[in-house]
Amino acid sequence: MSNVRQYELVYIALPDSTEEALADLHQQIAGIVERFGGTIDKTEAWGRRRLAYDINNQREGNYVLDVLTGPPAMTAELDRRLRVLDIVMRHLVVRVDEDLAVADRAKTRRKEATVARRVRRGLPPEPTETELHRRQEENDDLDAGVDMGYRAGGDR
Amino acid sequence: MRDDEGRGGRGGKKDDKDKAGARRTFFRRRRLCKFCVEKVDYISYKDVKLLSPFIPERGKIQPRRISGTCATHQRALQTAIKRARQLALIPYVTD
Repeated sequence: MSNVRQYELVYIALPDSTEEALADLHQQIAGIVERFGGTIDKTEAWGRRRLAYDINNQREGNYVLDVLTGPPAMTAELDRRLRVLDIVMRHLVVRVDEDLAVADRAKTRRKEATVARRVRRGLPPEPTETELHRRQEENDDLDAGVDMGYRAGGDR
Repeated sequence: MRDDEGRGGRGGKKDDKDKAGARRTFFRRRRLCKFCVEKVDYISYKDVKLLSPFIPERGKIQPRRISGTCATHQRALQTAIKRARQLALIPYVTD
């Protein structure tokens, strides 16, 4: 029931914006996040990237990714602010905690199933060194087969 | 599928030839959901490399019947592609 969620914020700033301008922008975002009692967990600057299509007559953009934790009201405010700022060409806020939790659950469930299966067969729960080695070799063979593409009786 | 039509009747040789030609086109690669096989749990919109095989030249989203992606993953893929488009990581259209 906690009201704190995790979000990813990606924004694209003008390609010719200076370091200071970007730092200032980041400060503003941090200010908003703080005001709502949230935190910035991670910041990743992807740097200048080519855009897949022109935005505001620009062919490139300065991408920055922030991982935020905070209440939903925070995203509304961020959205509003970022839409007003001229330096930001485009932004996107996405809630990620639920999807990541689902992915995590799937992962653990798969792991548990593997362990249970191995135990039932009377094997140690974790694959041994030699097994891993052998599997690697098998996978190598598999790749070669896939590259050849067609397989008899492959219809449906 | 064309077996029924090609069967019976005279011109055996011709039919056989026809059939062989048709057969070859029916050899289809076994379609497997790539995400299931590689055990991808979360399809991120940031991962252009992961998404790009499902975007044909025109920029559309590849249908499931062609790529073989399972329904669950196709849905996740769809959201991811649409998000990536908003961020200009992937084009909406290319001519």
